[in-house]
Amino acid sequence: MAKSICIALREGALEGELAPALTIKDSIASPFGLQVFDHVLSQLFSSILAGKSPSQGLILVSFSRSPSFYLELLKNKGINVASSDKRIHILDCYNDPLGWKDQIVEISSTVTVFREVKHMDKLFNSIIELGRGLVGGGKIRFSIAIDSVDEMLRRASVSSVARLLSNLRSHEQISSIFWLLHSDLHKARVTAVLEYLSSMVASLEPSHQLANGQRGDLENFALIKHNSKKGKFHVRFKKRNGRVHVMSEEVHMEQSGINFTPLTSEGAINQGLVPKVQFNLQLSEKERIDKANVVLPFEHQGDNGKPLQIYDGRRSLVDSKHERAVAVENVQTKEESESESESDMQRGEIIYYRDSDDEMPDSDEDPDDDLDI
Amino acid sequence: MAAAKTRASSFSRHLSTAAPSLGPGLKCGPNGTVLLSSGIPDLDKILGGGFPLGSLVMVMEDAEAPHHMLLLRNFMAQGLVHSQPLLYASPARDPRGFLGTLPSPAASKDDKSRGPEPDQEKGLRIAWQYKKYFGENQLNFDGQRDGKHEYSNEFNLRNPLERHFINGQRVDCVSIQDSPDLSILQDRCTTFLSQLPRNDGSISCAGRIAIQSFCSPQCVYSNMEWEMLSFIRSLKNMVRSSNSVAIITFPPSLLSPSFCKRWQHMADTLLSVKAIQDDDKELAQLLTGYQDMIGFLNVHKVARINTQVPLILEATTFSIKLQKRRYLVLECLNQAPVDGSSGNSDGTSGSCSSSSKTGNLDF
Repeated sequence: MAKSICIALREGALEGELAPALTIKDSIASPFGLQVFDHVLSQLFSSILAGKSPSQGLILVSFSRSPSFYLELLKNKGINVASSDKRIHILDCYNDPLGWKDQIVEISSTVTVFREVKHMDKLFNSIIELGRGLVGGGKIRFSIAIDSVDEMLRRASVSSVARLLSNLRSHEQISSIFWLLHSDLHKARVTAVLEYLSSMVASLEPSHQLANGQRGDLENFALIKHNSKKGKFHVRFKKRNGRVHVMSEEVHMEQSGINFTPLTSEGAINQGLVPKVQFNLQLSEKERIDKANVVLPFEHQGDNGKPLQIYDGRRSLVDSKHERAVAVENVQTKEESESESESDMQRGEIIYYRDSDDEMPDSDEDPDDDLDI
Repeated sequence: MAAAKTRASSFSRHLSTAAPSLGPGLKCGPNGTVLLSSGIPDLDKILGGGFPLGSLVMVMEDAEAPHHMLLLRNFMAQGLVHSQPLLYASPARDPRGFLGTLPSPAASKDDKSRGPEPDQEKGLRIAWQYKKYFGENQLNFDGQRDGKHEYSNEFNLRNPLERHFINGQRVDCVSIQDSPDLSILQDRCTTFLSQLPRNDGSISCAGRIAIQSFCSPQCVYSNMEWEMLSFIRSLKNMVRSSNSVAIITFPPSLLSPSFCKRWQHMADTLLSVKAIQDDDKELAQLLTGYQDMIGFLNVHKVARINTQVPLILEATTFSIKLQKRRYLVLECLNQAPVDGSSGNSDGTSGSCSSSSKTGNLDF
């Protein structure tokens, strides 16, 4: 759920832990990644302004959109950037990433232009420097938002980008970090690397899969139209105890922005590989005691070697105390029957129905003896 | 292992009359191998006593859970408790910091209640001809239980290991993040292992090498797949001719499938850890004790040194649990009791079709 992501980012890292990192992943089939990014950004920034977060500032590294877009966005959300320019700073990697222009007109004091996007270590240093400039040194933390990692990967190798992100995560002044990724622009390994580095993965999927990816078909047209407004939002959280929390929501694009609603229909439950399962053949302590207490239905058996009467459904136990006149040679003392009815709760009960009263009690003969083979 | 012992099979290794004297934390295993403990008593039992000296253990990580760190912690702490030299390599900037998170041995055995040993079938006399083969294993287990506090310890994950274990000895840490190729790590391993050559005599001490997240993406060499593979091969060869055990953990999702297979073939013992989804109703219905589980451990391959006979395990998947939130235990997966009233069983209570949905059940 989008709310839980924002809460997790807002709360930030505990002492000695890596900062929580979110990957927002989308694809051409469900292209709402930028809108989700904007949503998370505005939520996080308003929490920072409201003082709800241990993070005191936000550094936004913008690659795919101009900084003025973000300033407009925040203004539209009701956040006055001018009064809050001590809390946000934008590192502009959009206007002149490779340093081709001689001069850049400065947009505002909250924006710094960065011209060497090929060098990840310089980017790292700039981010840290800007953050320190914003919140001061020491133990005060700040958050980072990276517009899109795709642009970084275009110019630098996967391992240097990975190194940047993991160094940012392990830096003591970073509270939380999140980034956007368009998954179909890269090989599967790159997506796997970014998922490895993050503690939360939010992926956007179309609500209806297109049949065979054929987009020209009329039947699919309705689906495409549907997919351009709606989608599914899946989040995988890596929790501290080592378990993975999976959540899903529906996402709607509207004029005013983006909306998250709980899933209406039953979503597909994640079916992990369920491994081979065995029966538990071991007995717990209680089970072992019960097993020892079960009296087996052989009529010769008895506690002291005396024959024992087994309840056989024709007479109640209480009656058997009085009705001694039965055609059975079983003798039972009063104490035994009393203790038996008392300890009935502990003992297992074997219900044994005798075929007929004429039947002799179990003999010691081996019934296999009369087999004539 | 004396010559007076009756032969259990027609083919048996003729061992010298005196068993080699072994240092602390080592014991004799089957087929003339010497074993050292993994730090997790359950895992030792599953693998038949421990890791044999000279073997390479590989652990496949799950990107979504840090359970491989639990295995590494116990492994390294066990080595330090026995004063075995340790080489630790990790992609972190400061690997020494990880040593501060190693657990300390548990205080006493009494506060941990365990179920009865399954091989204590005293009341049941088995009259079968294979009993003579059991004798050897029984001896091993008895020996393990008596000398358990010597060979293998329970580790309390809540208490950190005392400083004197870490400071007092040969503990070497390497950071593999910044090295452009694997030559630094290779050199460190070579120097480390040259201190532990294998002779036929007694083994005074054995060493441990732990390499964490070997193909982690932050490392510069992580896209040099052939180089990484040849490093593993040379490490395996060096370890085989020395008195040590090396454990390497790696995330298989970050390797190409063909290299992932090659790496798996390199291992003598291959384990993998998997994360568990939270609040998975299907899994909760299927397994007992689902709430306490934190992950799964799979044993894919067990080391076969000096023998052609494989160790066939009854079960290859185990659940990882933290007993009392401190002790790592591995348990067999047990099916939850089938609810008789759900009515779908058709008398086939043996299969897992009690739920109407069929999942990916691997039988």
